[in-house]
Amino acid sequence: MRRTTFGLLAIALLGMTATPARAGLDALAAAASKEGEVTWYVSQTDSATADAAAHAFTGLYPAIKVNVVRTTTGIAYQRLTQDLRENSPHCDVFSTTDLGQYATLKQHGALAAYAPENARGLSPEFQNFDPDGTYYPTYAGMVVIAYNTKKLTADQAPKSWRALADPMWKGKLSLGHPAFSGYVGNWVVELKKLYGWDYFERLARNDPLVSRSIIDTVTVLNSGERVVAVSPSPSALESIDKGNPLAVIYPEEGAILMIAPSAVLASAPHPNAGRLFLEFLLGPAYAEVTVKSRGESLRPDVPALPGFTSFRQVKTVHLPVKDVLDGIPTVTEQWRDTFGG
Amino acid sequence: MRALDPTVLVWLALAAVLIFLVVNPLLRLVLTSFQAADTHAFTVANYIEAYSRPRYIEALRNSLMLGAAVSALTLLFAVPMAWAISRTDMPGKHLIRLGAFGAFVTPPYLGAIGWILLAGPNAGWLNRAWMGLTGAEHGLFDIYSFPGLTFIIAIYSFPYVFIFTSAALEVVSSEMEDAASILGAGVLRTTWKVTLPMVMPAILGGVIVTFLEAIALFGSPALIALPARFNVVTTQLWQFFSYPVKVEVAAAYAMPLLGITVALFWLQSRITRRKGYVALTGKGGARRPIRLGAWRWAMLGYCLLIVSMSVLLPYLALSQAAFARAWGQGVSLANFSLDNFHFILFEHRTAQQSVINSFVYAAWAACLAIGLALAIAYIVTRELLPFAKLLGFVAMAPFVIPGIVLAIGFYAAYAPPPLALYDTAAILVLAFTTRFLPIAYANAAAAMRSFNPEMEEAVRILGGTRLTAIRRVVAPLLKRSLVGAWLLVFIPATRELSAAIFLYGPNTRTMSVMLFDLSEEGNFEHLAALGLLLLVGTVAIVALGYRVIGRDFMVRGGS
Repeated sequence: MRRTTFGLLAIALLGMTATPARAGLDALAAAASKEGEVTWYVSQTDSATADAAAHAFTGLYPAIKVNVVRTTTGIAYQRLTQDLRENSPHCDVFSTTDLGQYATLKQHGALAAYAPENARGLSPEFQNFDPDGTYYPTYAGMVVIAYNTKKLTADQAPKSWRALADPMWKGKLSLGHPAFSGYVGNWVVELKKLYGWDYFERLARNDPLVSRSIIDTVTVLNSGERVVAVSPSPSALESIDKGNPLAVIYPEEGAILMIAPSAVLASAPHPNAGRLFLEFLLGPAYAEVTVKSRGESLRPDVPALPGFTSFRQVKTVHLPVKDVLDGIPTVTEQWRDTFGG
Repeated sequence: MRALDPTVLVWLALAAVLIFLVVNPLLRLVLTSFQAADTHAFTVANYIEAYSRPRYIEALRNSLMLGAAVSALTLLFAVPMAWAISRTDMPGKHLIRLGAFGAFVTPPYLGAIGWILLAGPNAGWLNRAWMGLTGAEHGLFDIYSFPGLTFIIAIYSFPYVFIFTSAALEVVSSEMEDAASILGAGVLRTTWKVTLPMVMPAILGGVIVTFLEAIALFGSPALIALPARFNVVTTQLWQFFSYPVKVEVAAAYAMPLLGITVALFWLQSRITRRKGYVALTGKGGARRPIRLGAWRWAMLGYCLLIVSMSVLLPYLALSQAAFARAWGQGVSLANFSLDNFHFILFEHRTAQQSVINSFVYAAWAACLAIGLALAIAYIVTRELLPFAKLLGFVAMAPFVIPGIVLAIGFYAAYAPPPLALYDTAAILVLAFTTRFLPIAYANAAAAMRSFNPEMEEAVRILGGTRLTAIRRVVAPLLKRSLVGAWLLVFIPATRELSAAIFLYGPNTRTMSVMLFDLSEEGNFEHLAALGLLLLVGTVAIVALGYRVIGRDFMVRGGS
């Protein structure tokens, strides 16, 4: 009798200690379900991945609808600041790629300070991303060189960022635009630091095809319109998975490591749903979606798909927030003057 | 007790509506251009900033050059086609008319996407064909260039000049041409020296409309000019709306655009007012088609070339992409897929919503515009009050305001409190209504003028009120013109982009904005699927219109 009681007590204690986090999330989930929907401004993934994420979330929490507003980083920020300026909040969760935006938003008190349970499950490199706890990393990838294997062999392909400015690539390059793409913004800031603005003057002389989103550079390569591109590793690798004739090069100077955060807005119309969605973005279900789209895995319990090169395996460069905050607006203006658009 | 006359009340109500829709946004635009961003103090700093960077001035210059180039190219396309259809015995006229109609219905930015698929310098189909045939290293056409942009805009602007010119040519009798040929002039000389000068006002009117459209377009320039690495006024205005939003500088920058359109519109009205072009006399005047002989096949070929460039080729390219897994991989059974349509219709919720939004907002705008236009037209043509003409003038005023400038005015006037119309359907519907009010009004006024007031007076004499007269006599007579006018507002409203891009919010995205967003990721397959849906929807509605009012509404109803 005493053994049975002790046994039952032990099981009860185990039960209580094993799932304190679950209990917390359950309360949040209940409150969120009452709100019924969450609006997500996202630029850090492409539309298909964002929709897959929304699908996965609604699978876990059927009562909550996800409004996916996928745009480029620049447009997402413009929308958000316009909403805030007109006192007409829509966004619950903001997920872009430009750290400078988060620094500015935090400064203006637009972000909610929230400590998600699932943040504990992130790999050590992604812990303590923001000391004030207003934004957390939810997507990571690299800016790399991609090329069309039907038109170039591995030997012919450029191995460094510097090589792209060589006149032999005239008419063959595809780039994004720093005003729209946070990935490109970071890349431009880093390369300006390495080689000065003269590098971009020479790049402009190579007559690159400039798209708005950096994701478009991959479709430009797929179609054979251009041969070499500055692309995001997730989109390029996903394209290779689909059977397109592409290959990726991790440049000598270092691929630009992009750690893209998400935050809940202080003015979120659905604050509980927003927090729940942030939990989801930091959890294993979203990590699975990320990994399938060839983004980095941010959690040790969700491994990458086979044949994936992680940022830990190559030389990378990661820009501090301050560089991004001051740098991107400046280089955007310079870019417009140099590239004419 | 004139003040209690219900007509005066109606006039006041209409005036209030027009002030809300037209006068206030314009006024706010001008005021905003002189306001400092945070303090709202008077300043000229916005103008200084708007014209300080060489890049901004360059954009203005590019726009003007673009307008001129497009006008010239449009003349080349439209005038021979209009002449061939209206005055010669060229075969296949119905087919060519249908083609011109197809060009009218196609949104220019969708055509631009089709041409990117056709004439991207390395991957475009035409270039691949060229490289395959001649073994060349590079393609022949580069759509990402100034000539490329000119071409794209011209092949979708030529319907305006075509409609204006052919409408004018249709009523010119053959007497003058007969006189010229009796005196020994050949066909070409007669046409050049006699026929065309007679319809010069119509041609010039069309050219000016084309110029104004070209400098006010947003979609095609945004798609082509950015990769082509030059800027125009509309894309530059868009940049002022990126973070941080500089409404004040945008307003200041938009002023010259407004000034140019007002000046050109004034010029056009001066030209068309001259009465020296009377071709419609009371005496006889048969219209005999000129016999071209073997040349009629050459003319047909030319017209077919234009139609295939503007309709056939781009639609083919779009269809290929819409049904493909990856458009670059060509036409094959392995590449065939219905997934794009499935995705757009059933999975991508934003796309579904945008389709509904577009058609609903356009329908609302068309109804409001027609209702407003009819009320104003009735008062103006029946001359019920002094100052009635003022209403008509204000109703036509939005014609001179480029869509993008109107949108900025609306944004400045109605997005912030007290009305706080930001991200509402209302602001989009109102902006569309204002934008297309001139078309509605021109049609309504023409319709009202087309029948004699005697019939209403007969009703009044027999004891009915004005309202009864309107209900029982005017409305039934106007039915056909109403449907035509409704469609003439509805069709452009469904694909309107330059105003929508500034006024849309997360929940009020239209199909045009959606198409533009899809282009950003280079996702041509989904884009083409959505574009085809837009085209199919529009054609279905127009076909319905055809059945209601008959064949001629597109060809003759324009002016």
